[in-house]
Amino acid sequence: MSAVRWLIKCSAGAAILLIACGFATARFGSGLQMPATTTRDGTLITLSRYLREPVPDVVLVGSSLTFRLKEEYFATPSLRNLALAGGSPVTGLKIVANRPQLPGLILVEMNVLSRSVDAPLVERYSRDIEPLFFRPVRAAVAAYEQRRHAPLTHEQVAPELRRLVGRPPSDFDNRVYADRALQQFNAEDPTDEARINTKRIEELIRMVEQRGARVLLIELPYSEAIESSRSAAITRKIAHAAFPDSKRWLPVEVNRSELRWTDGVHLDERSAVIVTQAMERALASARMAK
Amino acid sequence: MTFTSWQFGAFVAIVFAAYYLPALRAFQVQLLVFASLFFYGYGQPELLALLAVAVFGTYLFLVLALRSRRLWLPAGIAFNLALLAFFKYKLLFIDPASPSLVDFAPLDFLLKLPLPIGISFFVFHNISLLVDLTRQKAAPPSLVDVFLYIIFFPQLVSGPITRAEMFMPQIKPKYLADIPLVDAAKWTLTGFFFKLYVANNLNEMTSYMSFPLYETLQTQDRWLLVFLYSYQIYADFFGYSAIAIGLGLLFGYRLPINFDLPYIATSFSEFWTRWHISLSNWLRTYLYIPLGGNRHGVWRTYLNLMIVMGLGGLWHGAGLGYLMWGLLHGLLLVLERPLLARLAAVDFAAFRVARMTVVFFCVTMLWIFFKLPNFDHAVGYLAGMFTPSTNPNPTKLFYSLALLYSLPVMIQHLGFRPLSEGRLRWAEPYLYGSMAALMYLEAGPDTSFIYFQF
Repeated sequence: MSAVRWLIKCSAGAAILLIACGFATARFGSGLQMPATTTRDGTLITLSRYLREPVPDVVLVGSSLTFRLKEEYFATPSLRNLALAGGSPVTGLKIVANRPQLPGLILVEMNVLSRSVDAPLVERYSRDIEPLFFRPVRAAVAAYEQRRHAPLTHEQVAPELRRLVGRPPSDFDNRVYADRALQQFNAEDPTDEARINTKRIEELIRMVEQRGARVLLIELPYSEAIESSRSAAITRKIAHAAFPDSKRWLPVEVNRSELRWTDGVHLDERSAVIVTQAMERALASARMAK
Repeated sequence: MTFTSWQFGAFVAIVFAAYYLPALRAFQVQLLVFASLFFYGYGQPELLALLAVAVFGTYLFLVLALRSRRLWLPAGIAFNLALLAFFKYKLLFIDPASPSLVDFAPLDFLLKLPLPIGISFFVFHNISLLVDLTRQKAAPPSLVDVFLYIIFFPQLVSGPITRAEMFMPQIKPKYLADIPLVDAAKWTLTGFFFKLYVANNLNEMTSYMSFPLYETLQTQDRWLLVFLYSYQIYADFFGYSAIAIGLGLLFGYRLPINFDLPYIATSFSEFWTRWHISLSNWLRTYLYIPLGGNRHGVWRTYLNLMIVMGLGGLWHGAGLGYLMWGLLHGLLLVLERPLLARLAAVDFAAFRVARMTVVFFCVTMLWIFFKLPNFDHAVGYLAGMFTPSTNPNPTKLFYSLALLYSLPVMIQHLGFRPLSEGRLRWAEPYLYGSMAALMYLEAGPDTSFIYFQF
């Protein structure tokens, strides 16, 4: 076979596969939830779904702390958690604010204000651009995984959540991780970034509230040691100075002795459920008060 | 400029087009040298001066050694090893973050320079040049030929380490009609496919092997990731070498094959004839044999093996982990050596498979020291492989995805009989075309080649 014929056949092989994927993308869309191998993947899945599905009533934006509050833990229907593990609450809030339709209520986590906005992510999810091709291997695995492990609804997990909360708190020894986190929290000075991000949040709140949405701020509980760390104290001070009105804050009232953290920062599963339930109680009161 | 960037694609296309212009045929070598300098200096122009010092210095020592080998050959080798040692191991003694390291400004500048990419490879080229050409007692080659041998861009950053006696005779005018286009396309496509589809996707998962992320893993996932890293490092380095060979062919140069299905080796000594072959050959030719090889009795042979493998480990980096990796490989070579003849006498399929499994398992376990050069981190990872995980929120890995991204390495090693026997020869171009499409559609997040750091 001559080299030219070989190269033509090779190019044809590539073209056939690309065209097939192009047709499949046009027919089925690229929205199939890809399996997430990294937290970044998980973020993309969550945001893609937000763009594809009808606008929910309630949206949560935040960092990895809020990321742990899984949507199925909430009894509130039509709620989406857009928290980005490793990300800033401003990124999520900006994406929501840039969409043509807004949810009725936006909850903004104010624990982590030291991270800058993920501009490429905001840009990508502020426009309705579908990629030309999906990833065939990932799409196949996603279809397989979804078939085996379809996303759960609150009704499906409610009995298990009740059982989980009924159990005693975990006795997992998190000392190694908690010490490391505390060291980090004491070494970090988030003043500059926190001021900038608070300012951005103020502007975004003004913007979305002018368009009819309501915004409430939340602070998720840390372990006692982390609560009194340098970074947490500075962030809290800046956030409350910028938003002194207590009505702006959703109170998360829980029995702290019931809570456990994997590393002093992130809630374990049982504690995340307890905090979720406290948030739902506070949400109900806030809505009634309104 | 990395091989996987669009800038590199444009660069190769321009150089290729100019290279075969009849008007420029007389300047092909100069053109490749200029292109290689551009490639190396792109993004790091300050390192060009160092490259020039290495090449000019080596050339000077070569000319002198051709007059008096005894005196100038060791001096030339020492010059190159000093360069390597200075840049590679200076961080053992200094803290680059400190504002001023020494009072002498030029030395301070040198101490603060980053590790020059590819230094481990071009220093080995230089030594090969000095040894091979002075052994042949030939007339000194032209400076531009020496430049091309040392800095030819496909092999400059991570090899294959080409011996001077193999490369220098290939320097002559090249014609477009002589290019083995299909071979070049196959090597290049295979290389990119292994890098983009296999290595970059597996890297997403094996990034969890880093400290402290590995503490979030379940015990069985620690085991899985070690094997995935074994596939990843192969796909990454084989991919780089295959691209280099393909590009070499495009410009009329045959570079040595660097990998020959290493994970089907049935002994550790065979593994080293299949893995990073050009480094193994270099170490054997320029270190093991000059040390005496196996010519001075059993114990001296064992010592030589340990020295060569220990230095081979340290060549990768100045860390206890790399040294351990090399020494443990040396130990495995020493342990198997008395048994090799007896093992070879037992020749049936199941036994060969068992031997392959043992070699693959040991080689894979030792990659932990490569992935985690910090010795404490490596030991921490290893310890966690034998203790149950208690983390209540372990990282979730998709086994089906891991399998699909590892599959090309497995198929390549286990062989695909209809293709190798020729029954599916007609489908070969379509298969390569599909690989091209798949590496575009399914490319994992861009990461640099693992061997760039060496």
